[in-house]
Amino acid sequence: MRNLFKFLKRFRNFLIFMVLQIFVLGLFFNSKNYHKASFVNSTNAISSWFLQKRYNITRHFDLEKNNVILANENAELLGKLPMSYYALQQQLFQINDSVYEQQYQFIAATVINFSNHKLNNFATINKGSLAGVEKDMGVIVSDGIIGFVIDVSKHYAIIRTLLSERINIIVEVNDIMGSLDWNGRDNKVGKVKGITSSAQIVVGDTVYTKGSNGHFPIGIPVGVVSEAKIENGAATLSINIDFTVNFSALGHVYIIKNIFKMEKDKLEHKYYE
Amino acid sequence: MSNQWIQYGIYFVAFLLIQGLIINNIALSIYVYPMVYVIAIMMLPFETNVLLAMGIALIMGFGLDILSDTFGLHTSASLFLAYIRPFILKVLQPRDGYENNKLPTVHDMGYTWFLAYAFVCLILHHTWFFAFEIFRFDLIGLLVLKVIFSSLASFILIFIFQFLFYKPSK
Repeated sequence: MRNLFKFLKRFRNFLIFMVLQIFVLGLFFNSKNYHKASFVNSTNAISSWFLQKRYNITRHFDLEKNNVILANENAELLGKLPMSYYALQQQLFQINDSVYEQQYQFIAATVINFSNHKLNNFATINKGSLAGVEKDMGVIVSDGIIGFVIDVSKHYAIIRTLLSERINIIVEVNDIMGSLDWNGRDNKVGKVKGITSSAQIVVGDTVYTKGSNGHFPIGIPVGVVSEAKIENGAATLSINIDFTVNFSALGHVYIIKNIFKMEKDKLEHKYYE
Repeated sequence: MSNQWIQYGIYFVAFLLIQGLIINNIALSIYVYPMVYVIAIMMLPFETNVLLAMGIALIMGFGLDILSDTFGLHTSASLFLAYIRPFILKVLQPRDGYENNKLPTVHDMGYTWFLAYAFVCLILHHTWFFAFEIFRFDLIGLLVLKVIFSSLASFILIFIFQFLFYKPSK
């Protein structure tokens, strides 16, 4: 009898353990789905309070470096203003510009938490739905792309970074399309898949975004080809790239709002599904 | 007795914040991810009820999951350790049993016992954690390297913490 009770007691603990494990692992595997974050994440009030406090302390550490980056970016942008061009034909700048319509808007934000050593890496930024951030928006820095938004709360948002399994961002090298991948080991090295072995790709070619799924504008740098070889019998090239973004120090980022995305999705929806 | 639990509560929060806000952000290499918060589960008194230990592990894991965006992975691994800990203690039990007023620290139990206890706990916990994180057979080499290097790093930190946070029981 006593042994029976003992057995039941142990069995009860095991049952509770199993139920909890199934629930928790269910949450975890659910979060592996592309474009989806479980509700247990760092955009909630308590943990973002802590992360914000830590950011308030650590943000002064690399102020100088960030200032240099911002200054360089400003200089580059100043060079693109109409005033820095010498007008060859005076009336060119006097007519209203009806050739271009703004397609992308940028929301500046700061990374307050990120990881770069796991198999799926995320970053938390301090702008949320109040600032106009929405799910699926692309995120870039001045050097290149970082990832895209997968979940938003009022004041914070979570980004799935390029350092993730099955990130599947469409990119192009020398006008040839491929898809971006990561090997899970080195946060400086990525891969480009799906480029046929007949393509002319050499070390040093730059990989740009294709802009095809609306996260990013066309032509934002992603990385530089560091290795391109044909593996035995494979129909596609095995291409390694060095990311242009330094994933061990993320600071100021820009979230890209594609004004035309709704229009594009609506049109594509009719044919692609 | 109650004093001991107040101290435990303070340490619990301290370990959670040290892990979540400081150590999570020191990435030495892809292979080294020290998890010192495991110490909070390891240092529970010997006679702690498994259900209580699992409750504590649940809160600790959940806290870390929301701080590091691991979506339940930390909770799962620490629950596993809390569940398996009585069996580890049983295997490592000295001939005359554990004394009730002592803790599983290096001061109370000696270097040899602590080394064995800490490594068994850490390797089991880390293996569970990384196995579910990676969850691919083709990356088993990566799993082994991650477990080995991270367990070593965690052990070194937990060993230092023994001297920072604990002293011999009277």
